[in-house]
Amino acid sequence: MNEKQVHKFVNRYLEATECSILEKSPAHFTVKLSPFADRELTNRPYYWSFVDRVGAEPETMTFLFVTDKQKYDAVEEIPVPPEADSTATDKDSAANAALGRSLGFVHGSLAAPARVPREDLYFGARKLEQIFDAAKAKGSYVYLFQEPDKRSHNPFSSTPYTAWLGVNMRVEFASDRKREEIHCFGVSLATGQCVEHFLDRLLMHKLTPRLPANIHITKNGISFNKALGIVEQALERKLRSYDYSWAEGATERLAEELERISEYYELLIKNATEESRPVIEEQFTQRQSEIRWQYEPRVTASAINCGIFHLEGIE
Amino acid sequence: MNFNTTPQAASADTGPTIVTRKLHTLVDLQCDRTWFEELQNRVSRNGPWDDWTLYQLAMEAEQAKRIESFDELLCLRSLPTFEPMPHQISTARKVVHEMGGRAILADEVGLGKTIEAGLILKEYIVRGLAKRILVLVPASLVLQWVRELNQKFGISAVAQKKAHTWGYDVVVASIDTAKREPHRELVLGTDYDLIVIDEAHKLKNKKTTNYQFANLLRKKYCLLLTATPIQNDLDELYNLITLLKPGQLGGQSEFAANFVVDKRLPKNEDQLQEALSSVMIRNRRGDGGIHFTKRIVKNIPLTLSPEEQALYDGVTGFVKERYEESGGDLSSMLSLVTLQREVCSSRDAVFLTLVNLFKKTAEDSPMRPKIWELVEVIRGIKANTKAEKAMELVKEMNEKVIIFTEYRATQEYLLQFFRAQNMAAVPYRGGMNRGKKDWMMDLFRGRAQILIATEAGGEGINLQFCHHMINFDLPWNPMRVEQRIGRVHRLGQTEDVKIYNLCTIGTIEEHIVNLLHEKINLFELVIGELDHILEKLEKTDGSLEQRLARLLLEAGNDTELKQKINHLGSSISRIRDEVISNEDPLDGGPELVVNLDSLGQKVEIRP
Repeated sequence: MNEKQVHKFVNRYLEATECSILEKSPAHFTVKLSPFADRELTNRPYYWSFVDRVGAEPETMTFLFVTDKQKYDAVEEIPVPPEADSTATDKDSAANAALGRSLGFVHGSLAAPARVPREDLYFGARKLEQIFDAAKAKGSYVYLFQEPDKRSHNPFSSTPYTAWLGVNMRVEFASDRKREEIHCFGVSLATGQCVEHFLDRLLMHKLTPRLPANIHITKNGISFNKALGIVEQALERKLRSYDYSWAEGATERLAEELERISEYYELLIKNATEESRPVIEEQFTQRQSEIRWQYEPRVTASAINCGIFHLEGIE
Repeated sequence: MNFNTTPQAASADTGPTIVTRKLHTLVDLQCDRTWFEELQNRVSRNGPWDDWTLYQLAMEAEQAKRIESFDELLCLRSLPTFEPMPHQISTARKVVHEMGGRAILADEVGLGKTIEAGLILKEYIVRGLAKRILVLVPASLVLQWVRELNQKFGISAVAQKKAHTWGYDVVVASIDTAKREPHRELVLGTDYDLIVIDEAHKLKNKKTTNYQFANLLRKKYCLLLTATPIQNDLDELYNLITLLKPGQLGGQSEFAANFVVDKRLPKNEDQLQEALSSVMIRNRRGDGGIHFTKRIVKNIPLTLSPEEQALYDGVTGFVKERYEESGGDLSSMLSLVTLQREVCSSRDAVFLTLVNLFKKTAEDSPMRPKIWELVEVIRGIKANTKAEKAMELVKEMNEKVIIFTEYRATQEYLLQFFRAQNMAAVPYRGGMNRGKKDWMMDLFRGRAQILIATEAGGEGINLQFCHHMINFDLPWNPMRVEQRIGRVHRLGQTEDVKIYNLCTIGTIEEHIVNLLHEKINLFELVIGELDHILEKLEKTDGSLEQRLARLLLEAGNDTELKQKINHLGSSISRIRDEVISNEDPLDGGPELVVNLDSLGQKVEIRP
């Protein structure tokens, strides 16, 4: 994700969670979080449990989110020549005051507005990671309807809709190393038809959580369980055709490692005294399971998010 | 042992949560069905349903984070705040992609083993291959590691403080703590995805509790960091590798037969290097070593004014009297030794301590009037010889300068002293919070000519833009002096660094300057050498600080003190010569028994 993408992402998150953006530029947002976003992003569980229990009016936090540090700092930084003229400008006297205060413990609370913490949001930044997680936590299970096309809208006829099970799967191929794929499946609950890249298809439509008027939903022809089976089969079929040389390599390394420690420990066990033998044997077992843990090839599939989608037409 | 990617537990009513399907003779596909159960739940309860935009955003985030290939170094794209050096990147890459995540990182001092370890940690975290991580380091380095991992790598590492801290994902702890109960049980009961052990050469002896503890740890990936993997004995190397990959060099007797002629003499070196190359990386500095600028040291001898000298003599006499009264009990005397040191710094420092001492002393104690007598002497002092000299120096150089002092009271005095002369000076001390420290740094970088600091070990204060420093007084601990210098004299410094030591003649200070400068040659040592010298010194008879305190108290008169300090000085010189002659001057690092040059690259570092 580059700066622009991060900016767009954050913007959409803030809007979706109804935060009030006080100020923004292509490089930053100053934003007062909504209670919903505050709960997700500020790590204040005690505060929120207090608010919930007492029923107090919550005071949410305001943040400065910088999405393009370089650009933001370039604009913000008012260049001060290091060898400033001795003519006392405002800035000078402010700095002098600061120097004068530096000895004592004067807190500059009089003129200063409420603190607005700054967070630089870049790919890899912890706060952005937290926004990612927040999006995922509250964007996992949806139940949506396609908004009917306005043009063909006939108040006297009813449009048929099909319910789909849609799921976005992350597939991990792992040994001591790892790579991932993401697959988006959709299964028609009417016919059992399975399509890939289902998310792309969803993105072409406008979706709403409300049941639109003048539509009817085709009766489901298959059960949820059946649909699940179809998804998993489709995934399995796809993955079977892959190249598994990585797994062969990992298995080879695993075998080598196991052989190496076997040689080492078997000799050790053979020469061990009666009392030390169980300890060494235990260690041997432990080392073996560590190596399996490290190298054993495995493929796992888990859902990122999923939902039931009602789309126009019968498929 | 569970694979972290494999959630266990099966629920009874809806069938297994994980369903296994055969993909290939070697691999199964494991489908996690927890999502499906939850979806069904929500359908039957008619919600609650999530937001469509957040659904899309969640997917976009996952797509951005996706791990596209097995062998790209992904951590680099999420580290915009700093740029690792090429040899650090290639080391990380090699450990992750060729060594299966178990390696000894044996770079020479100063090439950034911590950075390499950080990159590897980050890579495994980003790839979701490591979550539970334990970093074991000497106690003195715990906070430094925590800071580095957090600031440079954005890894939420936590310093182990209490038993419950072990529950965090990334914990930095001292091995001496970890191996003791109640921690031991918790640590040994955890399957760690990744364990890092810094200063791993301390584990070279198989018989030590530390080694045995390390050997019991359960881990998937493991990094051992040391600049000196084989300093004395080939067995050390064998032991380290056994921690990492038992059997890599064969059994003990096999190793002895194949590779060892004598403890310090290897044979079949080519094969040994070959065997080592899959577990160890050692980058070396280029021939020129690190190109630091020069350190120019100037001792400024000062003669105390008669009033100041009277105070010094008064305090010295007072301290010695107390020591004799105590019957030679050293431990209770250390606070009095502080008096002796403070009196060399400023009357303000000694005043504060005296007043506190006065308050603590019982009202009928015969000590009270004696203390008050000293306080009266302080009142007689009108000027501070050192401060005036410092002022003169600062005006002469007319550039940014840091003044270090050990005492807060001296710092306050100097701030006022300079301010009275209309010179902008800012303070820096350990007790300030992060924000204030940054602010002071900014002021110093901007308009203040002088920074007056009591703390040097502090959190990454980098002052390369300044190349003058004045040691207003000198700590008795050489490491602290080195830390002070290190703030200024580091990579990125483009000027020669000028160090001024203020030293009052006829006081203990004169001896200290002499010891540090002439005997240890502290100001001209290569990085890392001081560590070795001090380690050797402390092995014999306690720290330099303690020894000095003892000498000072026990010496009957000035000549005796001088003799004793000279004696200490020559034993230090001896140790220094030993250490230095043991090290290859070109290499900058200690000599190793086995030549490991093929296990890494040569790195030229320029400031």
